Amino acid sequence: MTDAPIAAPVPGSSLTEAIAERWVSLSMNSWPGAARPFLSEEKDPFRNPIGSTVRRNLHILAREVLGGMQEASVAPALDALVRLHAVQDLSPGDAVRFVFDLRTAIRERAGTVPETMHARIDSLALMAFSQYARCREQIFELRLREIRFRAECATR
Amino acid sequence: MRAFWSLLAVAALVLVGLAGAAAAGGRVILALAVPYAAFAVFLGGFCWRVVRWSRAPVPFRIPVTCGQQKSLPWIRSSRIDNPFTVPAVVVRMAGEVLLFRSLFRNNRARLAGERLVLGENKYLWLGSLAFHWSLLMILLRHLRLFMEPVPALVNRLEQLDGFFQLGAPPIYLSDIALLASLGYLIVRRFRDPMVRYISLFTDYFALLLLLGIAGTGMLMRYYLRADIVSVKQLALSIAAFHPVVPSALSPVFLVHLLLVSTLAAYFPFSKLMHAGGVFLSPTRNLANNSRSRRHVNPWNYPVKTHPYAEWEEEFREKLKEAGIPLEAEHAGNARTD
Amino acid sequence: MPGTLVQIESKPPRGDWTDPHVEFRKGSICYSAAPKNLEYLGLPNPRVWQPLDADWKLPPDWKRILLEGMKDRLKKYRSFRLFMEICVRCGACADKCHFYLGSADPKNMPVMRAELMRSVYRRYFTLTGRLFGALAGARELTEDVVKEWFYYFYQCTECRRCSVFCPYGIDTAEITMMGRELLNLIGCNTNWILEPAANCFRMGNHLGIQPHGFKDSIDFAAEEASEITGLKIEVPIQRKGAEVLFVMPSADYFASPHYYTLLGYLMLFHEIGLDYTVSAYASEGGNFGLFSSHEMMKRLNAKIYEEARRLGVKWILGGECGHMWRVLHQYMDTMNGPADFLEVPVSPMTGTVFENTRSTKMVHICEFTADLIHHGRLRLDPSRNDHWNVTYHDSCNPARGMGLLEEPRYILNSVSRHFHEMPENTIREQTFCCGSGAGLGTDENLEMRLRGGFPRANAVKYVKEKYGVNLLTCICAIDKATLPTLLEYWVPGVEVAGVHELLGNALVMTGEKERTADLRGEPFAPARESEALHA
Repeated sequence: MTDAPIAAPVPGSSLTEAIAERWVSLSMNSWPGAARPFLSEEKDPFRNPIGSTVRRNLHILAREVLGGMQEASVAPALDALVRLHAVQDLSPGDAVRFVFDLRTAIRERAGTVPETMHARIDSLALMAFSQYARCREQIFELRLREIRFRAECATR
Repeated sequence: MRAFWSLLAVAALVLVGLAGAAAAGGRVILALAVPYAAFAVFLGGFCWRVVRWSRAPVPFRIPVTCGQQKSLPWIRSSRIDNPFTVPAVVVRMAGEVLLFRSLFRNNRARLAGERLVLGENKYLWLGSLAFHWSLLMILLRHLRLFMEPVPALVNRLEQLDGFFQLGAPPIYLSDIALLASLGYLIVRRFRDPMVRYISLFTDYFALLLLLGIAGTGMLMRYYLRADIVSVKQLALSIAAFHPVVPSALSPVFLVHLLLVSTLAAYFPFSKLMHAGGVFLSPTRNLANNSRSRRHVNPWNYPVKTHPYAEWEEEFREKLKEAGIPLEAEHAGNARTD
Repeated sequence: MPGTLVQIESKPPRGDWTDPHVEFRKGSICYSAAPKNLEYLGLPNPRVWQPLDADWKLPPDWKRILLEGMKDRLKKYRSFRLFMEICVRCGACADKCHFYLGSADPKNMPVMRAELMRSVYRRYFTLTGRLFGALAGARELTEDVVKEWFYYFYQCTECRRCSVFCPYGIDTAEITMMGRELLNLIGCNTNWILEPAANCFRMGNHLGIQPHGFKDSIDFAAEEASEITGLKIEVPIQRKGAEVLFVMPSADYFASPHYYTLLGYLMLFHEIGLDYTVSAYASEGGNFGLFSSHEMMKRLNAKIYEEARRLGVKWILGGECGHMWRVLHQYMDTMNGPADFLEVPVSPMTGTVFENTRSTKMVHICEFTADLIHHGRLRLDPSRNDHWNVTYHDSCNPARGMGLLEEPRYILNSVSRHFHEMPENTIREQTFCCGSGAGLGTDENLEMRLRGGFPRANAVKYVKEKYGVNLLTCICAIDKATLPTLLEYWVPGVEVAGVHELLGNALVMTGEKERTADLRGEPFAPARESEALHA
């Protein structure tokens, strides 16, 4: 997939970076108000694991959506983000809404959102939703396994 | 909102001071009655709080250990961060009280690109250290007002403090440090979203009050030169319990005095008591030797347990079947089938 | 614009923290304790209720009970009174809590957790609070505040990480312990804490295994250890006159991967010919009393000394467990001592006198083993652990309540050749909790645990990516029980093991048969290949 998107956003270019940064700040709106500034300001990945995970992976996704859209890079980055959201007190909608924020970020930083971008963002959203469902399923499986173990202990 | 109320409270105090300075009776109250009362409240309150703390027992030995314990002789233990003896605890406490050791721990260096950057928390350590030390310096300098002749130590400190001879009168380093660190601590309360969230009225009030005190003090030293002779006359007379109110006391001085008195009276009822409390914290001032020396709990009381005999009684048959040795094999309880 | 549509279900930003309202959600709370457990332990207000209910069925005079309980504890604990009064809200602790880092909920900042109680303290116990109310940071004690306390005091793992950074050493664990004690007075407790406590009180261990079940489990492990080594390994139970009483967390003989650690202990004891015994009566080192009240802690802990006295042993050896060691190290002697009927522990193999345990007379197995290795009393073949790239997770309580940092590392470096530390601000005294300690490790609380464990997992992920780490070792039963779930979600491909499991792998025993697989039955890495891999 190499169809040229917006005005030559070479991966790593300043426009891509600007869009990604804007995306990061927009996506923070899913989080409680008091948490946002801390999540976006603290850069040490071990002191602010949520913020740094969000930032790192949104940057990856922005580069991919605006650039090559390589499955191999998109999938793990999306997984890291959705996995994080899936354990919070977020509704399913809030957990994946960050994908749509990319549209806003592109419009604000690049002026327009080209057709190809729309399609990519839509498919990203679908992927995010599937991944969210998988994560929730995994959580319930893990829970079930712990319950089963407890039951085993009780009957031993 | 809480910050606003604090600002209002400090502003009101300044106005009261100015109004009092204008009236003859007010001057006597501000120069004598208020400082005496405030000092009495400070002393009484401080002692009351410390006594109340020290009368509460320390039932368990609960130091937070921040390094390797002393165990096997060939393992190097962290003597200060995990003290085993009382002298080591004294060193640990000295680190806490004089150098803010734990706050320093907060710092971490991180690489931003190729640059080494200090984290915000390092500034918190620096800011509070600068604040507390310059405050101490300024307090010591004030001794010159209460003592005649002025002790040599105070003169030496002043020389040191005014070392750079900038301006006339020379600007004290401690004044700059105090203003800068107070400014930092205030700005931080507003700017850091986490700290803003947790801040209470008292947090802003204490800072703004201190800022007011520092501001009026510096105003007197560098701009509206106070009549130092009258001030010293008042201070000496207060200290000697022979109060005389000189006529040349400026309004700024009276405001300064009122703010200081407020701080003193407020001190025992506020978080400022951390000054006394830091010495008593059981997670810091105890040696981590609880396995080597028994720590006694003064109110230790007997509790309901499940003694072995009852346990054996309850599981007798099962113990027997499993072949686990029993304590009481007497016939009465044995199976009689 | 899609954004506005989704906005509708977006969470409203929290306002002022003084609003105590909490939304209870499944996944973020532990269920209430069953009445039978409260009754068995003689605790107040047993009833059927759930935190999700609107009516918590508190006793009619709950407010008086709480305030009197607070007053009582303010008199008995200097820590409590001091920590209620000296916080300056500098914020140094704010970003140190794993629950805050993993949930971004501002009330999870340690300072805030304490303020929840301080605000009530100010209202009822200070002059300024009574006079100025909210302006002095005071809050009324209402039912909503009780619910908020329940939510946040059962969302703290008492790991003490915040206390390391506090300039006054304010320890949130102390405050949480007081909060839970108070909640216990009105019957607001969780089943995951009180059921193990009731079991431990009655049967001797958390899982409620009766004496014959205990013997079966131990015998089974002994047989398996014999099979693996080809030696006849036996474990004496409640044998009078043994030199050493060995106490371990019950999970070691009943759960996985703890079980492999037990095999490691048994092999070690056999190899050195230790004269020891285990007990079904004192078959639990762990102490869920620590998670409910000081009194309960003392009630459960009493067995260990009682059993040591009855059996006439000389000293006590303790297995790998975190909060167990907090109790043994900082509380046991004070609560149930003096242990004047025991002798100062001496290693029978090396003659080392454990001076640091002169009074309590209880030695940590890592101290014991490290001493053996240091004196060259064990034959070890670290290449048998070549299939593991190992990292070490400092368990909170041994790290911050004891300072047991180097002993396990010394053992690990002796039994494996590929050991990698996690980043500095996530280990030793700065270690991150697993997020499931202090009685939160239950399945209904899984989402909260996954949040709380995220900072730890994040550091594990780092060493996994950087060094190919595939095994996380630790010395805590709760870690071993909950980290596998945590890592499977956040860092799949990293297993969890106890330190003595790796020791069991590496231990070359006298007369053992040729071993080709580790204690889990996984084959050792082929010699040449592993050389090449790590050359």
